[in-house]
Amino acid sequence: MKRKWNFDFYKNRKKYFIVSIALVVLTLAGTVLFGVERDVQFKGGVLLTYAYTGDVDADAFAAVAKETLGADVALQQSTDLATGRQNFVLSLTDSSTVDAAGQSALTAALAANFPQSGLELVSSNVVDATIGSEFFAKSITAVAFAAVLMILYISWRFRRINGWSAGLTSVVALLHDLMIVFAAFVWFRFLINANFIAAALTIIGYSLNDTIVIYDRIRENERVLGKNVPLEELVNRSVNQSFSRSLMTSVTTCSAMAIVSIVAYLYHVTSILSFSVPMLFGMISGFYSSVCIAPMLWTVWQKKRAEQKKKA
Amino acid sequence: MKKVGKPVFFIVVLLIAVIGWLTVFGVSSQYGDITTKTIKSVEDIRWGIDIRGGVDVTFAPAGGIDATEEEMKEAESLIALRLVNLNITDSELYTDYNKDRIILRFPWKADETDFNAEAAVEELGSMANLTFREGFEYDADGKPAGTTLEKIVLTGADVLSAEAVYTTDQSGNTTNMIQLKLKDSGREKFAEATGRLIGQQISIWMDDTVLSAPYVQEQIVDGVAQISGSFDAESAVALANRINAGALPFALETESFSTISPTLGLGAKNAMILAGAIAFVIVALIMIVFYRVPGFVAVLALAGQVLLMIASLTGFFTVFPAFTLTLPGIAGIILAIGFGVDANIITAERIKEELANGRSLDAAIDLGFKNASSAIIDGNVTVIIVAIVLLGAFGPTDSLFARILSPLFAVFGQAVAGMIYSFGYTLLVGVILNLVMGVFASRLMLKSISRFAAFRNPALYGGGEQA
Repeated sequence: MKRKWNFDFYKNRKKYFIVSIALVVLTLAGTVLFGVERDVQFKGGVLLTYAYTGDVDADAFAAVAKETLGADVALQQSTDLATGRQNFVLSLTDSSTVDAAGQSALTAALAANFPQSGLELVSSNVVDATIGSEFFAKSITAVAFAAVLMILYISWRFRRINGWSAGLTSVVALLHDLMIVFAAFVWFRFLINANFIAAALTIIGYSLNDTIVIYDRIRENERVLGKNVPLEELVNRSVNQSFSRSLMTSVTTCSAMAIVSIVAYLYHVTSILSFSVPMLFGMISGFYSSVCIAPMLWTVWQKKRAEQKKKA
Repeated sequence: MKKVGKPVFFIVVLLIAVIGWLTVFGVSSQYGDITTKTIKSVEDIRWGIDIRGGVDVTFAPAGGIDATEEEMKEAESLIALRLVNLNITDSELYTDYNKDRIILRFPWKADETDFNAEAAVEELGSMANLTFREGFEYDADGKPAGTTLEKIVLTGADVLSAEAVYTTDQSGNTTNMIQLKLKDSGREKFAEATGRLIGQQISIWMDDTVLSAPYVQEQIVDGVAQISGSFDAESAVALANRINAGALPFALETESFSTISPTLGLGAKNAMILAGAIAFVIVALIMIVFYRVPGFVAVLALAGQVLLMIASLTGFFTVFPAFTLTLPGIAGIILAIGFGVDANIITAERIKEELANGRSLDAAIDLGFKNASSAIIDGNVTVIIVAIVLLGAFGPTDSLFARILSPLFAVFGQAVAGMIYSFGYTLLVGVILNLVMGVFASRLMLKSISRFAAFRNPALYGGGEQA
């Protein structure tokens, strides 16, 4: 980075707030309109993926499955470009009919009915509904608990610049970034699964780290400059000073994640793609929120506090 | 750390290279036909079943029976025994006593072509078939034959309990035995058989596997028998558990069950390795182009961090046992590398700033590291907090972090989340290694390299640009 940055972030704070609120509203609206689906890992159910070659009639395939299992099945077709094989994805909402024995019976029946198809069970996922929702609840608890611990740590470390407001505003920025990660799941119609939890947790780390680096600079400048400069100048200067770092770190990590996404897309590895794309969203959002949201919220908070003190 | 000698740079680079070499290739010694691996290599990484393909299954007592902790232990020992019989040696098996669940994961074997996972899982969970049979005749496969096949003395339903006990004689020698108690239904049958077969064997079988074949020493009429032999405490407990498992009143059903074919997973693994390699090259280029000498040092430190992370997965260091690497585990590695990149960027930017403020090269490097440290430490500590919460929430119930956090997560039971555990592990190890490599080793290397005449020009450190 060749030049010194000199943006007036504080002056534009309202624009940033509006952009962020609009993004959050859009995401929520998208969720309401399109909905998100939880993967079998979280809601329980059955997901069986069969690979086949040649032409197989999907309706006939579903009919055989339905007859063997005695339950309604949903069938989706997909193509694996890496191997050139076609896949059938069978899903059921109720896991109780498909235990290990039911699964082998189904595979046998399908293979007998479609002998030319070279049928092969690629993956199977059978999750009891209670285990699924338990896992979901546990994941949410883990995230919430980790967030509380981090607020406590940040509040203590940044007590010099009024720790609680630093801790809380960094968590607001964090929630904003999590919302953007979630938005990626909504827009790309990825299933909410363990990848969502992994991406959310990773973004928690990135987002807080981004914010901490800037608060660290505010803390340092406050120590050096003290009360000699107005608050907005202190913040603007701190954000500008750490802007090169914020930008470069985002550029390197985002390009790494973009490469992972591209490779995963080319090789059709959905399990990685549904992690790396939301990560990319979250990293970009983390850069934005740590520069434009958290420090500005913190400044607004400090100003309000100062005003109230004056009045009192 | 005021003075760092010129050779330090080469020592650190050499250390990274040696560790890298050992990590990638390992150390093995050949003695005749036997190869002994002293240090494990990259090939020994245990890939998770999402990469290698395999089976992940959760068993629970059928019919929603509320089993006791003892019963769950016995059920686990039953599955462990059956795994051995199925020749599945590489498996993870643990029991969640709160939720009465047994979680089992095992990968496909390298040369496996048509292993029937459904049949295997069915067999693993089926009701234990414990029998006491007359004599000890068996066929070539080790299955009961002849009289032993025909004459069944007792079944699991006749057994009340088995318990490992020991006696100590006057000279202090301990003898381990199993005390067997029978139900009323078995008492008479056993009294008749032991009366008839004194001096002969009664063999005890689980499914088609012999557990023990003791000789009858005397008639047992009260339904309480001792099995003695060359047991140590451990094998006595194991046998008692297996006999008890045969008396379990329930079969195990699968609550969740997933299989992944090896082809699917291996494609993902190769894609990840390719992506990782390209990403590393791009990051290295960005670092060297923008930050020159500090960027170059950062790339060396990052390489060291990556190699050490791989080493901590293979079981290279004894403190880190070999660990199963899953796809989220690879995500944890990526995140940790991101932090490594960030630590180096923060430092390089700070050095640049100090040079722009007119400091000398040595002072700028010193101050750069000093000013960067608080931000790096705070950022890394918050991630360590996340990693520890994950390890506690999703790790095996008997691990350290899980015990600390058990009051919070006990209600949930041990869910199907071994993969997130892997994420927490690689993240924790990676961030700690980042503090070692990205902060400490970078500093040593940069201070050392900056003493060479060829690297004294501040422009190589980003100086003179902002002026």
